[in-house]
Amino acid sequence: MKWKIWPAILLCMSMQLQVAAQPGDTANRSMGALLPRDGLAAAVFRGGLVFANYCVTCHGMNADGTGRAARLYNPPPANLRASDKNDAYILMMIRMGGQAMGRSEFMPPWGAELTEEQMNDLTVYLRSINPSPRK
Amino acid sequence: MRPSTMFTAGLLLALQAGHGMATEHVVNQKGKSFIQKQLTVKVGDSVKFVNDDPFAHNVFSLSDTKSFDLGSYGQGLGKSILLDKAGTVEVECAVHPDMRMVIEVQK
Repeated sequence: MKWKIWPAILLCMSMQLQVAAQPGDTANRSMGALLPRDGLAAAVFRGGLVFANYCVTCHGMNADGTGRAARLYNPPPANLRASDKNDAYILMMIRMGGQAMGRSEFMPPWGAELTEEQMNDLTVYLRSINPSPRK
Repeated sequence: MRPSTMFTAGLLLALQAGHGMATEHVVNQKGKSFIQKQLTVKVGDSVKFVNDDPFAHNVFSLSDTKSFDLGSYGQGLGKSILLDKAGTVEVECAVHPDMRMVIEVQK
C-alpha cells in the first residue's frame, strides 16, 4: 500500500468516529447508510479526503501551513485554520489557483483536476476546521 | 596574434567546450504520469519537464540534492531545472500525488 494512503485512512477513521459519536440521526444508520449523502457531515467527510490527498503536501495534515513542502515557499502556505476569507473566496482560490487571485503562484488551480462536488466538499471541510469562520 | 587576444580566444573556446558538455534532458508528462520513472544525468545537466496532458501539472522536489517547485503550467509548456549537485532527486507533481520519478545525478 502506498504510504500516501495512510493519512487518508487515518483521517477517515477519526472522522467516522466523530460522526458516530454525534447524537441523533438513528434513522439513517438503521437504513444502513453511514452518512446521508447530502448531509453536512458527509460533505465534511468527503472534503477531508480531498484535503488529505491533494492539499497536505503544502498545507499540512493540520491545515496550518506546515506541510512537508512548506519550506520551499516564502511566504509559507496559508494557515487554513486561521483564514478570514469567506466560502466564496476559498472556493475561487481552490478553483482558479493563487496566481489568478493575486496570491501565491505556487497554489495550483484545481478546477481542471477536481470535480465541482470535490471543490465544494473541500470548502465545507475547510470551514469545519476554521475556529473563526466567516460565512 | 597578441598574447591577450590569444588568451581571450582560448578562454572562449574553453567556455564553449564546457557549455557543450551539459545536456538538456526532456521528461514528458502524459496521462498523469512521467514518461520516464528513472533518469540518470550528469552534474551540470538540466531536465526539461514538458506537459503533454490537456491539464496543468506542477512539478516539484523536496530532495536535499535539489529542492524546487516549477509552479503550474499547462499543455505544451515545459520548464527546466538545472541539476548542479550529485545525488538523488525525487520528483513529484503537486496536482497529481501519484506522479513520481527519480533522477540520479552523477558526478
